[in-house]
Amino acid sequence: MSKVTINIDGKEVQAESGQTVLDTALANGIYIPHLCHHPELKPRGVCRLCLMEMADGELITACRMPVIAGMVVKTKTKKVDKAIRPTVELLIAYHHDTCRGCPAIGKCELQTVMSHLKIDRKRVRRLRPPPAKKPLDKMNSSFDYDPNRCVLCGVCINTCEDIHGVSLLYYVGRGHETKVAFYGDEKKCESCLECLARCPVGGLMLKKPVEVRH
Amino acid sequence: MDANLIDARVEEILSTHGKGANKLVPILLAAQDAFGYLPGNVIQHVGEFLAISLGQIYSVASFYKRFQLTPVGKRRVTVCRGTACHIRGAPQIVNEIEQTIGIKEGETSADLEYTLETVACIGCCALAPCLKVNEAVHGAMTPRKAGVLFTDVSGNKNA
Repeated sequence: MSKVTINIDGKEVQAESGQTVLDTALANGIYIPHLCHHPELKPRGVCRLCLMEMADGELITACRMPVIAGMVVKTKTKKVDKAIRPTVELLIAYHHDTCRGCPAIGKCELQTVMSHLKIDRKRVRRLRPPPAKKPLDKMNSSFDYDPNRCVLCGVCINTCEDIHGVSLLYYVGRGHETKVAFYGDEKKCESCLECLARCPVGGLMLKKPVEVRH
Repeated sequence: MDANLIDARVEEILSTHGKGANKLVPILLAAQDAFGYLPGNVIQHVGEFLAISLGQIYSVASFYKRFQLTPVGKRRVTVCRGTACHIRGAPQIVNEIEQTIGIKEGETSADLEYTLETVACIGCCALAPCLKVNEAVHGAMTPRKAGVLFTDVSGNKNA
């Protein structure tokens, strides 16, 4: 493995060749917004939040871009902001409007992205659809799925596929109705709960213990 | 259609298409055309044949509007709610049909005679507002014409 030097936001950083720009940036303390990225999964580039501007002005996802010696990228330009801000705003508009009661408080990637981009909550409120809460899905005996918290990043689906060869979870439906679900296969799930551990938000959650605490 | 007949038909479809995950949509299309919808045991059969999970098939089948997972009626009424049709009164037409046949949008009547659905665009905006009964297009509809269309159809099977 040879070392290469690249320039992210004006800072010279060392990277292993073959590493992606996103991994390099995160390793060097430069935060690039991301949701569908997980270090143990192949990068898919579906959330479009890790877009960065190349020297020629092109926007490219950092999670799928391998480092090239001497490359110069910028992650905080106007062009990048204009591309990713609406994505984040719409994600939040279709999300629960409060973080109260969410199991992912404190480790939520969406919260991190929000504070990084300094999202204006008032502006997002205007985009919010009429409050029709989607019902909680009782997935199987060990966990639930809340479609109002899911960001449809696909991490759970890819995790299931990685660990068990074939995924039991899949996207179902399309557009606003898209959600993640089993299809008659919930009994086959071994409840390894790796999908829960990797969920960037609180979309998948453990079932609450039966006894009610007051 | 009884189970044996369905199985025979599925076998025939599967043998003409061959294996490979990229054959999934052609197979589902053929099954949809043969049965009018995708019965659960057909999906299972296709899954075993192509060696892919049921979830994957369900994911594809629920994405495309062309695929149905519940039985459809003999007359599949498709009302266009595209921009041109919407402006020229598609909502009133849907309303009228709902009252005439007595089912809501997206439903199938209990006797499997009608299915009422709306789609984004049929592709003949010049005839707006329009609707399709199976493959026959009826253009320039009014609530009244729509009402007459379905009273005739249910009263006289040849109309």
